Amino acid sequence: MMDALLAASPLLVVSLGALLLMLVEAFSPKSGRGSELALGTAVTLAAGAMMSIAVWAYGPEQLEGAKQLAPYLLTDRFALFFDFTLCLGGAITALLAGGYLPEHGLDRGEFYPLLSFATVGAMVLAGAGDLLSVFLGLETMSLGVYALTGFRRASKRSTEAAMKYFLLGSFAAALLLYGGALLYGATGHTDLAGIGQAIARSGAVKATGLSPAQLALEVPFPLVIVALVLVLAGLVFKVSAVPFHMWTPDAYEGAPTPATTFMAVAVKSAAFAMMLRVLLLAFGDSRAMSWDSGWPPVVALLAVLTMTVGNLVAARQESVKRMLAYSSVAHAGYVLVGVAATMRQTAHEAEASVLFYLLAYTVSTAGAFGTLILCGSRGAEAVSYDDLAGIGRRHPAAALPFALFLLSLAGVPPTAGFFGKFYLFRAAIFAGGGLTWLAVIGLLNSIIAAYYYLRVLVYMYMREPAPGAPVATPMRSGYVAVALLACAVLVLALGILPGASIDLALLAPARG
Amino acid sequence: MNPIFASLVGYWPVALAGAVGALVPRRESARERGLLGLFAALAALLLIALWPASGAVETENLPGEWPHFLNLLVGLPLAGAVAILFLPRQTPKLLRGFTMVVLLVDLAASLYLLKVPMTRGWHFVYVHEWMPSLGIRYHVAIDGISLWMVLLTTFITPIAAWVTFGSIKTRVKDLCFAFLLLQAAMLGAFVSLDLFLFYVFWELMLVPMYLMIGIWGGAEKIKAAFKFFLYTMTGSVLMLAAMLYIVWEYKKLAGAPSFDLLALQRLVLPQHAQMLCFAAFALAFLIKVPMFPVHTWLPDAHVQAPTGGSIILAALLLKMGTYAYLRFAMGLFPGASGSAAATLAGIAVLGGILYGALVAWKQDDMKKLIAYSSVAHLGYVMLGLFAITPSAIEGSILQMVNHGISTGALFLLVGVIYDRRHTRDMAEFGGLAKVMPIYAAMFLIVTFASIGVPGTNGFVGEFLVIMGTMISPRLRGFGGVDATLAAAGVILAAIYMLTLVQKVFFGPLSNPKNFHLKDLNRRETVAVAPLVLMIFVIGLFPSLFLDRTRDSVQGFFDRYSQVWAEQRVDQPARLLPPSGDAAMEKGAPALAQADQAGKGDR
Repeated sequence: MMDALLAASPLLVVSLGALLLMLVEAFSPKSGRGSELALGTAVTLAAGAMMSIAVWAYGPEQLEGAKQLAPYLLTDRFALFFDFTLCLGGAITALLAGGYLPEHGLDRGEFYPLLSFATVGAMVLAGAGDLLSVFLGLETMSLGVYALTGFRRASKRSTEAAMKYFLLGSFAAALLLYGGALLYGATGHTDLAGIGQAIARSGAVKATGLSPAQLALEVPFPLVIVALVLVLAGLVFKVSAVPFHMWTPDAYEGAPTPATTFMAVAVKSAAFAMMLRVLLLAFGDSRAMSWDSGWPPVVALLAVLTMTVGNLVAARQESVKRMLAYSSVAHAGYVLVGVAATMRQTAHEAEASVLFYLLAYTVSTAGAFGTLILCGSRGAEAVSYDDLAGIGRRHPAAALPFALFLLSLAGVPPTAGFFGKFYLFRAAIFAGGGLTWLAVIGLLNSIIAAYYYLRVLVYMYMREPAPGAPVATPMRSGYVAVALLACAVLVLALGILPGASIDLALLAPARG
Repeated sequence: MNPIFASLVGYWPVALAGAVGALVPRRESARERGLLGLFAALAALLLIALWPASGAVETENLPGEWPHFLNLLVGLPLAGAVAILFLPRQTPKLLRGFTMVVLLVDLAASLYLLKVPMTRGWHFVYVHEWMPSLGIRYHVAIDGISLWMVLLTTFITPIAAWVTFGSIKTRVKDLCFAFLLLQAAMLGAFVSLDLFLFYVFWELMLVPMYLMIGIWGGAEKIKAAFKFFLYTMTGSVLMLAAMLYIVWEYKKLAGAPSFDLLALQRLVLPQHAQMLCFAAFALAFLIKVPMFPVHTWLPDAHVQAPTGGSIILAALLLKMGTYAYLRFAMGLFPGASGSAAATLAGIAVLGGILYGALVAWKQDDMKKLIAYSSVAHLGYVMLGLFAITPSAIEGSILQMVNHGISTGALFLLVGVIYDRRHTRDMAEFGGLAKVMPIYAAMFLIVTFASIGVPGTNGFVGEFLVIMGTMISPRLRGFGGVDATLAAAGVILAAIYMLTLVQKVFFGPLSNPKNFHLKDLNRRETVAVAPLVLMIFVIGLFPSLFLDRTRDSVQGFFDRYSQVWAEQRVDQPARLLPPSGDAAMEKGAPALAQADQAGKGDR
């Protein structure tokens, strides 16, 4: 029993903290408590991250009680690694919100419980080993994020964004659910490992040719393929891969920036965790995973489309926030290269590269959105390129971290983003075959990406604002400063000394 | 000692970081300082946790070769760049002084390299494990080839900084940061022998140069900065893909990955793969050189960059391309580079030397003329590398240094006149020798060096290259033609450079705006003098340089010929046995288990 509690402790800590925050929020005066709640949320989520480190250090394999929770909640190293990444992203978001919401007159306490519960949903998703808990986690996370997106109630944009996100999100969830139903119908299992075994067995039966009674138990492969397509569509919607990305720019732009940060880092990471689990556990047999009859070519095609479209459209944006939204689409494309590379013998390296990339992406993107928050102040949010003109000269302390995070996203050494990309494309090239060309396409894409990230640098350092144009003045907020400092340290640390974190990621396979 | 106390002592960097964070920022309140200190301590703890467990790898250096010497050389400007961030923006004098001191100390330190005899093989080797599971190590070393690149860098950067500080007065902090970071990245790229490390430095160079062109450049600065960045990055991402591919092939054969140049040199890829990988590497380097037809970023970047930026760009960054082509593209793929040599040499002669010279001839803008003359001069350097004979390679290396000195000086001198008149159009000038005699004399000397008049440095390098090309067996019988055309290029160089001199300095002093131009001031004289001095030192005593390069070039050439002889048509990828040349293998990673077992069988 205690073992089970210990195994689930990262999740429990965050859930209990979220409940407590809700109570505090309910009984506190209506205004002016936002920043204390922000600190509370950040501490709660940081505690969740610490617990995941503690369980990792103790060794989740030794916790016998953890098996009672399986397959609904797997507490393997894969889940713990994601718990850490998600809690880190959530904690940074909370700190950013602590600066952003009071500054822009949105200081309402419900932001923080919503954020915490969305993080809980994301963590459930990372640990889910059954279609039921996958759906549970997905909806817990999504509902929180829908509400966060529409948090600026007075703004039409924000409401529209939330509505769009909600409708399309529900549609995708329905697809996923329908795919899950078909899988259950075909195999008689809802747990991912069971589904995987059933599908794998069906291939073996066909090969040896058994009696008609056993053939009656045969899993119809076409049905599995249809289910796979539906599940995959639901999954790639959440990671916002082209052509399921249409909601992303609008939702990202309309949402208040901390909510955007959370969507870009935590939601995307959790969705990739779910994707790896579902693809590797349920569709991990040799037939569903082969280049001829399975998902890898689809994922590879999605990766190429996502990278190319995301980058090309991002290059055309006039708003920095929207550019970052499209760039997050492009980053999803890079990660899909890593997902496609899990089909080969070197699967564990490809998985580790996805895990490391998501960690690096979390700190760089959270930092980039954070500096965008920092650059604006009351009534004058910095969103367009012009808002940032000349900020490098007027406010070097805001421009320097922005430049660092953008260079990290562009993949310039010695930053986390560079090493993430390096490790990801290394996995693709080491997988061999056609994936080498996938890596080359990804690398060429990063040139387009460099163009639009550098454009921000151009505005910050090389342009002056047009005469008479409104000039953004950076806000002063200790919370935002701490969040950015943490991101900057991590970006540099993961970029210069990534060895240790990579060794950890290598220990965390999705297949347990 | 008490174990708890001992472990606390082990964490002294944490305490130090905390104390610095808490005590240094004086203006903040006590609470903020406490938080900052805590934060710094946590960051230090994180770094300790991430630090690779296994430490430095023992290597045998000769007596007098302090292993940390290259770390010092690279680390000094890097530490200076970090320190600049913490100096106040409002004190440009302090910032400028600090930068100059760091650069000059680096120069003084680098002169020690001249005291060590550059025998065959590697010197000042230092190896430290970085990411053992990926086969990435911090591996730096120097030989007779990189020696001159390092010295050129430490010699030119202070001059460029000195000149720039005279003309640029805005955003001095950013400028100092860019100079120091650039210096560290360039030195790092010249001494690293690990491909990953090299790539890190190679890319790191881009950002400060990009800022230098983009912030302090001319009217079209942003376009030029973008062009510079994107051209270079296109080449380098393809190089990264090829790099990963050869490491993968190496891992399959040797059992463990390695990014070390000395390990990867033993890998012989099948012809097709080798050609593709060589193309990716060569493209990255030839864009940087730049060679026709990927040279179009260069004139833009040069014309828009401030004087100091142009000097660094021409004298140092372009050398990065030629040096890396020799070290990495030729070092890793002797077969492919040898079979492509004849074609590439043709491009270097026609597209570089002749076309560059003809385009330079037609320019009105003095800076653009010199930029195109760079394309022509680097054509000689590349021709020498493609010819692959010891004397041609030696000539190329010498010519790299020469071009750095003479073109650096030309850009500096054009910057002088631009500061006075804010135009570089040759039609605006004429008869300047009457009002600026010292300037005219200096310009004439540098022009002679650039053309390659005997007695100046340019002559020796060009002579060696052309001679080496003439006798080269790799150019498929085109050696004579290439050499003849290259010699014709020298005449063209004389035509366009002397036309420039004639138009600007001689003839009647007609434009009234030029009547009262001031001659070189003290700052400018101090900047030009060492360059002019070096022109004559190399021109009259070339053996000072060639003696230090010869052994290394011979070593390189022997290895190259040996691998070339091993080439077979359509063979699978394989590893060559260790060459047994201890000096050339010094610092190479230990062989993996699988490889050693395979050797036992043979």
